[in-house]
Amino acid sequence: MNRRPVSTILGIAALAGMLVSPYFALIHASVEKEQKLAQKIFYFHVPSAWVAFLAFFIVFLASLLYLVKKDRVYDLWASAAAEVGVLFCTLVLLTGPIWARPIWNAWWVWDAKLTMTLVLWLIYVAYLMLRSYGGDAAQNAKFRAVLGIVGFLDVPLVYFSVNLWRTMHPQQIVIKGGLQADMLRALMVCLATFTVMFFAILFQRVSLARAEEELAMIQADLREKNPES
Amino acid sequence: MGFWTQVGAILWKDIVVELRTKERLSSMFFFALLVIVIFNFAFEPGSGAMREIAPGILWVTFTFAGLLGLTRSFTMERENGCLSGLLLCPADRGAIFVGKALGNAVFMAAVEAVSLPIFAVFMNVAILPSLGRLMALMALGTAGFSVVGTLFAAMSANTKMREVMLPLLLFPILVPILLASVKGTEAVLAGEGLSGVSGWIKIASAFCALFTAAAIILFDYVVEE
Repeated sequence: MNRRPVSTILGIAALAGMLVSPYFALIHASVEKEQKLAQKIFYFHVPSAWVAFLAFFIVFLASLLYLVKKDRVYDLWASAAAEVGVLFCTLVLLTGPIWARPIWNAWWVWDAKLTMTLVLWLIYVAYLMLRSYGGDAAQNAKFRAVLGIVGFLDVPLVYFSVNLWRTMHPQQIVIKGGLQADMLRALMVCLATFTVMFFAILFQRVSLARAEEELAMIQADLREKNPES
Repeated sequence: MGFWTQVGAILWKDIVVELRTKERLSSMFFFALLVIVIFNFAFEPGSGAMREIAPGILWVTFTFAGLLGLTRSFTMERENGCLSGLLLCPADRGAIFVGKALGNAVFMAAVEAVSLPIFAVFMNVAILPSLGRLMALMALGTAGFSVVGTLFAAMSANTKMREVMLPLLLFPILVPILLASVKGTEAVLAGEGLSGVSGWIKIASAFCALFTAAAIILFDYVVEE
């Protein structure tokens, strides 16, 4: 098994990145003039959002592959990516309000991006619930794959509908304009770190799922060999 | 048999079963009535706020009643192994799906036809001036709901806690079509023409087209043993 070293290497890289990222986010990037220190959460908020979208895209791809190829491995990848995606999406929904409170003077605003993230979170939490309430394992894996595909196809529609919904009202906040070079560098470092961290967790989660399967098989084997124990 | 003949046969089967028992339509309709009545208690009847939220109440009524019908749509097939029988007959899986989805849409439309006048009377909303436009929006909303709903009903019928699972899976996915239906209805009731809600109609049509195509392909995987 060469999966172990891959996830170890990714883990070490993520750790190194996490040691450097705060320096870039807090010290290297200059303080934003209007938002002051509150803007610093941007460097963790945006990478979390990026990783969540990446994860949901992986769910979609793995689900498609699962339905076509019927190989359990793809289901393991899809489920693991959904779990990690929900984790990062939760981080987005937590860091968002912390940032919004001092800037917009409200924890939550029904802005297009916020609504979109919330709806995505709901879709993939439903995915995880389907997994835990499922009956037959193989059938449930198929259902999950269908939900993984339908959920991702829904993303552009959700995007357009919430955009149309919100643009009917005055746009409350618009973050526009290019980033300063030092801020952009900090963002890039954080993006890279979060991406590596995501893959480290994803690989870890998949190898855990494989280990769980092996364990279940060994246990079933043992029970067959000595039924009285 | 051609594709549409097969679709017609499945649809006809569902309608005949329903006409013999009438259990699905009566429960859907009674539930719709209850939702409308209960919302009247929640908000002051005839107030300005009521008129603002009326489109939302209308669609909550439709979707909740539709949900009851969907749950029944596949649990009914599971009893006595009807679904296996359906899958064994030499019909295209896509045709089975379209037939079931059309059946669900027809039942939902029947309930809508009865509950819309009741809604108008109880909520004191004038629907007659915009009836045509309203019906166009209802047709789109019902089609989108039935397509995704039928696919997920086939899935959740095979899980534990199926009655609970269906709304949990369905509602997050339905966000675009619900938003389009509610906001479109709101504009139409306020006297807006269809061109004024073209954005919502585009989103609703895209939703219907995309998920009809996806569901016809995916249904095959959902029902295969």
